[in-house]
Amino acid sequence: MRRLHQRTTDARRYPIDIRWNRLALPGLALLAAGFLAPLLLLAIYSIFRDGPYGQIVGDATLANYAAILSDPFYLKVLGDTVLLGLLVTAACACLGYPLAYFLARTSSRWRPVLLFLMITPLMISSVIRNIGWIPILGDHGALNTLMLTIGVIGRPIAMMNNFTGVVIALVHALLPYMTLLLMTVIRAISTDLEYAARNLGASPWRSFWMVVFPLSKRGLGAGCALVFSIAVSSYTTPTILGGGRVLVMATFIAQQIQSVMHYAFGSALAIVLFVAAVGLSAIASKRLEQSGV
Amino acid sequence: MRVLFRLLIACIYIFLIAPFLFVAISSVGDSAMLSFPPHSFTLHWYGQISPKLVDALKVSVLAALATMTISSGLGLWVALAIARGRGAFVSFLKVVSIAPLSVPHLAIGIALYQTVLLLWDYSGVTLAATFPGLVLGHSAIALPFVVRGVLAGHTHLDPALEEAALSLGATPTAALWRVTLPLIRPGLVSGAFLAFLASFDDVPIALFMGGGTDSTTFPLQVLASLEFSLKPDIMAISTLVVVASVTLIIALDYFFGLERFLHGQSAD
Repeated sequence: MRRLHQRTTDARRYPIDIRWNRLALPGLALLAAGFLAPLLLLAIYSIFRDGPYGQIVGDATLANYAAILSDPFYLKVLGDTVLLGLLVTAACACLGYPLAYFLARTSSRWRPVLLFLMITPLMISSVIRNIGWIPILGDHGALNTLMLTIGVIGRPIAMMNNFTGVVIALVHALLPYMTLLLMTVIRAISTDLEYAARNLGASPWRSFWMVVFPLSKRGLGAGCALVFSIAVSSYTTPTILGGGRVLVMATFIAQQIQSVMHYAFGSALAIVLFVAAVGLSAIASKRLEQSGV
Repeated sequence: MRVLFRLLIACIYIFLIAPFLFVAISSVGDSAMLSFPPHSFTLHWYGQISPKLVDALKVSVLAALATMTISSGLGLWVALAIARGRGAFVSFLKVVSIAPLSVPHLAIGIALYQTVLLLWDYSGVTLAATFPGLVLGHSAIALPFVVRGVLAGHTHLDPALEEAALSLGATPTAALWRVTLPLIRPGLVSGAFLAFLASFDDVPIALFMGGGTDSTTFPLQVLASLEFSLKPDIMAISTLVVVASVTLIIALDYFFGLERFLHGQSAD
């Protein structure tokens, strides 16, 4: 119905006749100054070499890229970043799917409240969200205190200032994205299909696994690509919960620029991150289009 | 099976809410070391909030308001040009205006930083670590939210309403201001809200474009304080920010409906 409505409105021209293109120019100027020109400069810097005092020297070369893709140290940073992305994505999928299914199918009168509680974390400052994990994950934090009291562990285990803390906090940050996307996809799958499967004798689990899940696969793929692309480019969470000890692409790049002033090399790293993230976002939106949402 | 599923959902909700809960709990605990559980409760830390944090929060709110104003003011017209403009320019606009969403903000921050350094080299104009520089970066990343919001609102717009206005004698400008814009206001409002959030939430751009006296945002100040220790006064002011954010979201939900904000995106 909505599709039909859209088509009819598209076909009829809007009658107000103004030179719309021209009105977009100030906005385009903002994008040019704050986004396009800087990215172009980033790409240009990335093919030069770093001088000793933060200047850009030499002839155009791909040496920075060659170094990133061959030096074991840089490869480890890349590998750790990918590993972080994979772990976070897998956890978000495992937690987000049941939550999305619940929110898509529940008829509880608490649904608006539950939806609100799921979305609100998205809208609260990421720094606050991250420091909230410190009293939970710290050596004298709630989780360690709890486990020591029950006797599961003999002494506090480190869940902060390391990879574990970063994974936990990133899953927390990105779970709403995955859930929202999956919820929209699952809601679009008619419950009639499930009833039909049940009527034909399938168990609830089987009707879910054979009917709903296959139909939501593309949405799941899109959610995974989205979460992965944000996870690998995240800076705030690895900084706060990594305590300076977790080196992933974003923290490494910031270090290259701020501490050692390797502008050219830092730019090349940023371009690598940029290409990875943009590629994944493109995959996500394409998949989403195919799933008809 | 059903019970287990409910239990899982409950656990996920506890996970989602936990950090905010613990910010609040730590803000009223007596221990300066943030050990858990606190021995007694006190509002002491709320009186001890560092003036630096308060100033930084002011900077953040001002920057977010400026960003919201600029990106809404410009983004509205970009969106209308995408919906109604002509030619190849429109397809270019479509790609460029949404692109900042999928580019890592850290890359944008670094790129912008290097650009303003180059600008300084050649013209002596300083934008790094200034309020205008910060707002420039924030407005660029916030613009896509406005464009997307307005476009979403525009798809439900019936051209007949404009035709009616024009045939009743309104000038095109009057029809635009009194018919078209009020009709797409909900989309504009949701876009503006997300633009505010993009600025308020941002770390990677402020990291490079901020840091001066008028451009040290709240997140930057918290990060700087963390290098020494996490003091309970940070938790106190954070609690206040969380309460204010939730109140604002509830108000927006009441007036405009939450479903509209569902497609919000911020970067980490």
